[in-house]
Amino acid sequence: MSEMTSVKKSIICAVCIALCYILPLFFHGIQNAGSIFCPMHIPVFICGLVCGWQYGLLCGISGPAISSALSGMPPVALLPSMMAELAVYGVITGILMKKIRTGSVYADLYISLTIAIIAGRVIAGLTRAFIFTKGSYSLAMWIGGYVVTSWPGTLIQFVFIPTIIFALMRAHLIPERYQRRDSAVQAGK
Amino acid sequence: MDRGMTGKYVPGETLLHRMDERAKLLAFLIMICAVIFTDSPAGYAVMFVFMAALGKAAGLSVNSVLSSVRRLGPFLILIFVMNSLFYTSEDPIWHFLIFSLSREGMIQGANVVLRIALVIVMSGILTRTTSPMELMSAIESLLHPLRYIGLPAEEIAMILSIAIQFIPTILEESDEIRKAQIARGARFESGKLRERAMALLPMIVPIFISSFKRADELAEAMEARGYRGAKNRTAKEKKKIDLRSVVMLLVCACVCAVQIVI
Repeated sequence: MSEMTSVKKSIICAVCIALCYILPLFFHGIQNAGSIFCPMHIPVFICGLVCGWQYGLLCGISGPAISSALSGMPPVALLPSMMAELAVYGVITGILMKKIRTGSVYADLYISLTIAIIAGRVIAGLTRAFIFTKGSYSLAMWIGGYVVTSWPGTLIQFVFIPTIIFALMRAHLIPERYQRRDSAVQAGK
Repeated sequence: MDRGMTGKYVPGETLLHRMDERAKLLAFLIMICAVIFTDSPAGYAVMFVFMAALGKAAGLSVNSVLSSVRRLGPFLILIFVMNSLFYTSEDPIWHFLIFSLSREGMIQGANVVLRIALVIVMSGILTRTTSPMELMSAIESLLHPLRYIGLPAEEIAMILSIAIQFIPTILEESDEIRKAQIARGARFESGKLRERAMALLPMIVPIFISSFKRADELAEAMEARGYRGAKNRTAKEKKKIDLRSVVMLLVCACVCAVQIVI
């Protein structure tokens, strides 16, 4: 994932920002779907993992802003804490994907995702507790909103994000993270 | 042929074509605010009359203005139906099993659909009367202050303008993927919350693959034409915003103010 040019990374980031608006549209008809299934998180994670932290940060900030402007979701009142949460997702996945190299793509992806999901939710809770809804936010509300309500979304992220990354690698739309054994053997011959 | 025309720049010499691109983008942002505040029949009537006037000023036919909305018709109907049938209301008009038709649900569905339609029409008018280069330059101008804190305003402008231009294309492809899933037996409009959500999940991977294919093609085309990042680009000298554009901005601000008052 380090062979991509900055032009391609920029275009992929643009596509992920567009998907931050489009994916949640499909879930709008289902009551409370945004907070349960978290569809907007997926493009931000993908952008951070594929393009790096700078692009993940831009996607995390501008994705919800564009979606809020065009469809009214997330509502303006929730927008700042959501932008902070998604920006953390994009930055952390980007940094960890660059630093962690275990030799297994699955291990790299799951370690980066797990740390980013925890960090993003903690930061979102902290920004709500100390900045955006100061004095009216509690630990119970954080656990209810970011852990209990959104567990299906977390499960979807753990299942779908590695699947999407592998599908993109297999379609040669993003470079392989590690050289495959069979292609390494062929190159050796 | 018409498919490729969605949001594509159409060269011309109309009032909107000659308007300053920065003013056009600012007007677009003001009008998005107006759409957010619109929630009454009178408000929607004002918005549609204004959109018709803008379409006329841009020299666009009603057909071409509405083509993107018409293409997304099934998707918009789906949003309306889902909102109407699954909105939790204390006073439903009709109730059967999990379905609950309510006035509030229909109003909510109509609001979402009309807002999406208005934004699609507005972005269609903007992209048809503003070339991609002008649009990028306008976003770059609005982001100019970011340069003073060391952020790459040109790169960010390029990414945001491409993101906005990608929205109608990816929406259309997503709708095609949705239809393909329906043909395979997916049920998006019925079943419990879990079942409807599960029906949507198989769409996620194909949407990403088709979007990344688009991204790959565009990146290759840009690199083949020698694009090496927004930093290395030269820009034409910026002109001052003319009186006509200022008047247009004021008119849009008035429409937004009317929506807030209504």
